[in-house]
Amino acid sequence: MPPFLAFLIRRVLQIVPVVIAIAALNFLLLSLAPGDAADIITAGYGGASVEEVNAVRHALGLDQPLYIRFLAYMSHLLTFDLGYSHVQGATVLSLVAARIPATLLLMMSALGIAIVLGIALGIVAAMRHRSWIDHTLTVVSLLIYATPQFWLGLMLIVLFSVQFGLLPSGGMTTIGGAGGVHGWFGGTVDVLRHLILPATTLALFYVATYTRLMRSSMLEILDLDYITAARARGASERQIGSRHAARNALLPVVTLAGVQIGHALGGSILIETVFGWPGLGRLVFDALLQRDLPTLLGVLFVSSVMVVVASLVVDIVHGLLDPRIVYR
Amino acid sequence: MTRFARPAVLALSALGWAAAGLPATAADLCPKRGGTLTYVYAPEPVAISTLRTTGVPVAMIAGKIYEGLLQYTGPEMTPAPGLAESWQVSSDHLTYSFKLRNDVKWQDGVPFTAADVKYSIEHAIRPYHVRGDVFFGQIDSIETPDPQTVVFKLKVPIPFFLQGFQAGTSPMLPKHILEQIDVTSREAVTTSTLTSTQPVGTGPFMLKEWVKGDHITLVRNPDYWQKGLPCLDQVVLRVVPDGAARAIAVENGEIDLAPMNALPYPDIERLTKQPQFEISEKGTEGLGTDMWLDLNLRAAPLSDVRVRQAISLALDRQAIINVIWYGYGKAARSPIVSTNPFFDKSLKPLAYDLKKAAALLDEAGYKPDANGVRFEIKQYALPYGEQYVRLGEYIRQQLRKIGIEVKTQSLDIGGWLKAVFTDWDYQMTSTFTDNRNDPTIGSQRLFTTADIRKGATFTNSMGYSNPEIDRLFADGALESDPTKRKAIFDQMQQILQADMPVIPLVELPNVSVWNKRVHGILTNGLSYYDGWETVWKD
Repeated sequence: MPPFLAFLIRRVLQIVPVVIAIAALNFLLLSLAPGDAADIITAGYGGASVEEVNAVRHALGLDQPLYIRFLAYMSHLLTFDLGYSHVQGATVLSLVAARIPATLLLMMSALGIAIVLGIALGIVAAMRHRSWIDHTLTVVSLLIYATPQFWLGLMLIVLFSVQFGLLPSGGMTTIGGAGGVHGWFGGTVDVLRHLILPATTLALFYVATYTRLMRSSMLEILDLDYITAARARGASERQIGSRHAARNALLPVVTLAGVQIGHALGGSILIETVFGWPGLGRLVFDALLQRDLPTLLGVLFVSSVMVVVASLVVDIVHGLLDPRIVYR
Repeated sequence: MTRFARPAVLALSALGWAAAGLPATAADLCPKRGGTLTYVYAPEPVAISTLRTTGVPVAMIAGKIYEGLLQYTGPEMTPAPGLAESWQVSSDHLTYSFKLRNDVKWQDGVPFTAADVKYSIEHAIRPYHVRGDVFFGQIDSIETPDPQTVVFKLKVPIPFFLQGFQAGTSPMLPKHILEQIDVTSREAVTTSTLTSTQPVGTGPFMLKEWVKGDHITLVRNPDYWQKGLPCLDQVVLRVVPDGAARAIAVENGEIDLAPMNALPYPDIERLTKQPQFEISEKGTEGLGTDMWLDLNLRAAPLSDVRVRQAISLALDRQAIINVIWYGYGKAARSPIVSTNPFFDKSLKPLAYDLKKAAALLDEAGYKPDANGVRFEIKQYALPYGEQYVRLGEYIRQQLRKIGIEVKTQSLDIGGWLKAVFTDWDYQMTSTFTDNRNDPTIGSQRLFTTADIRKGATFTNSMGYSNPEIDRLFADGALESDPTKRKAIFDQMQQILQADMPVIPLVELPNVSVWNKRVHGILTNGLSYYDGWETVWKD
């Protein structure tokens, strides 16, 4: 068997116990909280009788001992049955699936912008080490990094939506086709207009991280002997930056990006809440408030699987970037 | 535009057929037709029917699609013709006959008849609606002698029976669709397509689309029985979870209306300075929300009435209103709010007097120790937002002044419900409740001995048991003479104010903000749950 294939199989097999452990931990942690879905659902009846509360509890299977519920949950997971949300009256899988496109669009746009911009700015800062550009980039990125995301989001809304009236303040589409949006093209433009502010808010935060990381990684590499050797051979600074240093400096950035992409697929609770973006983060937020445990568990499970899968992808990409890494 | 307007305002007599008809034409009611009204609220409704839950977001959207037999006018919710064009009450108050309009159709085109009324109430509303039992639990029979007549025979007189035909209380459902559902199962009925994806009502608007987490769009019902109405083409609910973002969307004109405390108070404060917005506490009198401290009376020191009175005396209600509720709201005097028709106007305001409070505690035998502490109590803050956390801080600070050390604990809504209603494991918590204009409907379940029911949410969690109160509520529920009934509930309020099983704090404000291009919002005491058929936009 080629070593790469063996490596891949082994890594995939390693994922299985990790995912099971995560699912088990999620389930057990959430069942520690006092009160259950039956309390919440019957509170909606406004003065339910004890019999009614118990009937709901029984219907939801919440009167079963913890280990029975746990086994039932895990065995359903094996068939990708994430359960049923009684609060929402729908299967968790359908709820999660309905929110994934919005989250994917938002997160991938934000991370895409952030990674490209962050790497570029990081290289510039490192190549112009201790220049005014470097200092400015450092100060600005620290400032953005330290700014709470939701506040930044609100300020962007105030600026671009209230003051200039250029962009909508929230949501993903203009409802009812207001504003003369028609057809496939109009629809796409409309979504893009709604995407700009939330994606930018998120991207700004990530750009700051990537710029800092890329800069320090570049600086470390630029001190290495092979760069000095390249300089001695007469390579221009531009060549050194882009060809010799950048590729190797990318390794930590890829690691971080991998982890963040995994996380990002769980959605951003803050940004989706501020911008009314109908993604997974919002689903988590609403589920938390309503003690909708099946939904909460479902999203947590899906996003933890994403993190694990993303870290596998990172390992593979590492090998492509750095020939010294050998799959064993 | 803060006037109450409603097309079918009619004087009616309790005895004899009330006259029917619409006095005004659609042209008068809609100076302008068309347009979309967008309102904002969060959380998102979990259903489109109050059969599932009567929470604000659900009641608001469901009221545009589903209607009750009657319409209601004015803040006191006076019954007026609706799906039933007239009604008659027998002299013994045991028979109510309703004459239905003959031109009403369900939104799927099937005619609406008496059979729908009977079936809805018997198989969905009475068994599954929160207030089903209160209004329809004492019905002997529902007869339908012809398709346009419904006769309710009651076992006992129910003095508030005519309030039971509001859209939020008994939304009429189509029999031909209900019959396809297993009506013996609450789950099947309350999560059916009728309450979620495919509601079919008789109301002015119909569901067009529901994009979960984003918006719900309702469109005009072209066959609505009030000819020429609704004025609007569409009503859109936008779900914006963040309070500040909701306020911004109102401010920049994307949203026309933010009903019922949808905006945070600091933002409302800001919008009051802009002339294009109307800010109003009106239109929710039918709810009558009262906020109080719920006390567990089972153990000392709170089992001592003097301790409860002392706590009440240590709290400055006006300060709570000014600081925490930004000046909105009104100091509460009893569990009955002042807009409730049964409010006893002779009740004195609850005083703020720290000296008297300390004296009462001394009298009760709780002397301060070396650190000035008499005893400790544990409080929960109602997990319904930041105001209650701040209220908890205020209470802690005030009670310290009279030597009571308060420990505050936070719980999420699930934990809070369990601690207060299932485990009775609490000493003091803030909570609120809706009066709904009638003590039998809104207050009885909170104060009678029969309602000390472990595990039942929003019942007598305090463990308050007073035979006198039990008797007054029992008599009040059956007394048909309005004057005698009022006297019974006056007495009830005087006892509850003195006995203080709960410490009344604030009649909670329900502040709504709308853009002045919207007209006709205020129709009655539950304006935001109403059909909005006469709401129009410039």
